[in-house]
Amino acid sequence: MAKVASEPKAKGYGTQLSRRDFLRVGGTAAALGTAGFLVADRFIGDAKAEAPTPGKVRYGMVIDLERCFGCRTCMEACKVENNTTRAVFWMYVFRFEEGRYPDMQVRYLPRPCMHCDNAPCVKVCPVGARYKREDGLTATDWDRCIGCRYCQVSCPYSVNYFNWKDPKKNQYLDWKTPEAVEVRQATKGVIPPYKNPDLEERYGKEKRYIAGSGHVKGVMEKCTFCVHRVEKGLMPACVSSCPVGALIFGNLNDPETEASRLLRQKRFFRLEEGLGTEPRVYYVGSPPPGASVRQIEGIVGRV
Amino acid sequence: MDIGTANRIPYGVGKWGAGWQVLVLILLAIIALGLYAYGQQLEIGEAATGMRDIGTGGGAAWGLYIAFLVYFVGVSFAGIAIASMIRLLDLEHLKPVARMAEVLTIVALILGALSILVDVGQPLRALLYLPRYARPQSPFFGTFSLVVSGYLFASLIYLYLDGRKDAALCAQVPGRLQWFHRLWAAGYRDTPEEKERHRHTSWWLALAIMPLLVLAHSTLGFVFGIQPGRPGWFSALQAPAFVVLAGVSGIGLLIVIAAALRQVLGLKDQIGMPVFHWLGSLLGVMTLIYLYFMAVERLTVDYSGAGLEKSVSEVMYTGTYAWLFWGTVGLFVLAVLVLAVQFARRRWSLPLIVLSGVLVNLAAIGKRDVIVVPSQTHGTVLPYAPGVYIPTWVELAIIAGLFALGTLVYVRFIKVFPIMEVSYTTKGGAE
Repeated sequence: MAKVASEPKAKGYGTQLSRRDFLRVGGTAAALGTAGFLVADRFIGDAKAEAPTPGKVRYGMVIDLERCFGCRTCMEACKVENNTTRAVFWMYVFRFEEGRYPDMQVRYLPRPCMHCDNAPCVKVCPVGARYKREDGLTATDWDRCIGCRYCQVSCPYSVNYFNWKDPKKNQYLDWKTPEAVEVRQATKGVIPPYKNPDLEERYGKEKRYIAGSGHVKGVMEKCTFCVHRVEKGLMPACVSSCPVGALIFGNLNDPETEASRLLRQKRFFRLEEGLGTEPRVYYVGSPPPGASVRQIEGIVGRV
Repeated sequence: MDIGTANRIPYGVGKWGAGWQVLVLILLAIIALGLYAYGQQLEIGEAATGMRDIGTGGGAAWGLYIAFLVYFVGVSFAGIAIASMIRLLDLEHLKPVARMAEVLTIVALILGALSILVDVGQPLRALLYLPRYARPQSPFFGTFSLVVSGYLFASLIYLYLDGRKDAALCAQVPGRLQWFHRLWAAGYRDTPEEKERHRHTSWWLALAIMPLLVLAHSTLGFVFGIQPGRPGWFSALQAPAFVVLAGVSGIGLLIVIAAALRQVLGLKDQIGMPVFHWLGSLLGVMTLIYLYFMAVERLTVDYSGAGLEKSVSEVMYTGTYAWLFWGTVGLFVLAVLVLAVQFARRRWSLPLIVLSGVLVNLAAIGKRDVIVVPSQTHGTVLPYAPGVYIPTWVELAIIAGLFALGTLVYVRFIKVFPIMEVSYTTKGGAE
């Protein structure tokens, strides 16, 4: 101790800073600052929208409210395709009434996941299970999700559905019921009535488990824009099942697609644009629902 | 160095009287109930709780677990705040309750971490993936890294350094706990150099912990405050209000614990009334600040009368959650009144101070529920039907189990280490 203390002080507070020292210290600080900025940018920037570059595929959906008549076929098709369990509606069609009798109007509003470019759910996910794909889809890795439900809480559109129970115990068909037995016999037990084998695969360049529902207890799932169909070149189930073609899906970066054409020709709105979420679902054919709408035949499905 | 007159460790360390044994048995029973409930939740899934999907599910995705996560982390405010104030502001008269507060911090943080684990749907994945795939831009990152790791780690170091002298003293007493005290002391001899080094380190640690404290509690506020999609949450006041409410519940619980230990361990001479006067005044001031924050928040929301914010407000004022909201406000106001009257008369009564400590803690729990739940059930941006959230016995049993576990850890600590500095036995009286 004594030895250390007896050594002459190298640079105390009294010594002046030479120019070289200043440059060295300043340079280090600047380098650290730049590095910090780069790191922060990399971390914070990834939830933001990429600039629309032509040639790059960026999917989106256009919903023609003039055509939709609230039949909810899309809801049914989604459930069948994605094997969603009870009380789960990845696609949901609002039925509204507006005004007072006799001056009233009934309106419909299909609500899939908005696949926002500035998605609140992507930002808050603590493990990166919810992420933005290059093609504009907002995907959920059910193999990564820890089930904290922050995405659900942060989503303004309430499109997330949690597996509160073991999905296998929450399917519509109980294996022991006569109907289930019939289905099994009809398919000779090859295809269980509620299993879509495509949903278990990995998708995208990143090869992650992002398709379909009904996988594991205690994870979050939501509309995937049927990523397992889109990657094969098919339309999402809701789009291809709509009897009046009210749902249009396509590459919004390509001006030749029908979706892009509609957005050029018609006035459109997106839900709650003021929140800055930049949804990739556009509505055409009708003004946005006002504050005075009342939901009729609303679904409250508790597990 | 001498441990005292009787050459045994003071404050009932190592002595398990009948009362303590009964207490431990009761706590173990409650913990067992909590474990059983958690087993049910693992078996059935979180369908065993009252939480459901927001929107068409007609529920709230976050419930009591998150409310109590915020509460537990809030309570942890007390220890570090008190310990740092003693170091940095030389508030020597608070020293008798310093270690009680530090242990409270550590126990509360452990309970906070456990309530996260209880809440998530995949606890094992959470343990592995939260560090492995950590994303700093999620407000939860702050909760895990700052609060549960940094804050807990710093508090443990602080407790360790602060207790080394007493550990060295206790290590002189032969007995079954000697190895533990020897381990803690780690060769400490209380020489002037060692003393100085400890003082120095603790001072810097205290200085470093202060901003960490503000940051950590703010982070929890940000979990709610930066979500524009939830009317009722999106507010710049959320983070500072969380810091203040943390102080309110933390100081309140510290008062309750200090008074209880003073009674049970017979520390009337060591913990003088001035300690409680000081803590009571601090509690009163912080509660007042919090009420002011609440008033500002309410005024901001209600003056504009903007759509969804207003509908969440209405549910709180006159709707489903009116009893909870007004009950919370009432408890806060009552606590402030009880403290203010004592302050004005300059006559303090310990039972009344303890009462206000209990009141603010009940209010803090209520306020956390009022923050968490109504914005989910009645704050949907799209016009879904309003939801309901009623906690089930599983949630209540798990929360009770967490409280019992915390108490058990606290009691266990009291029985292996002096909960107050040993030097107070010889000097006597609070200085």
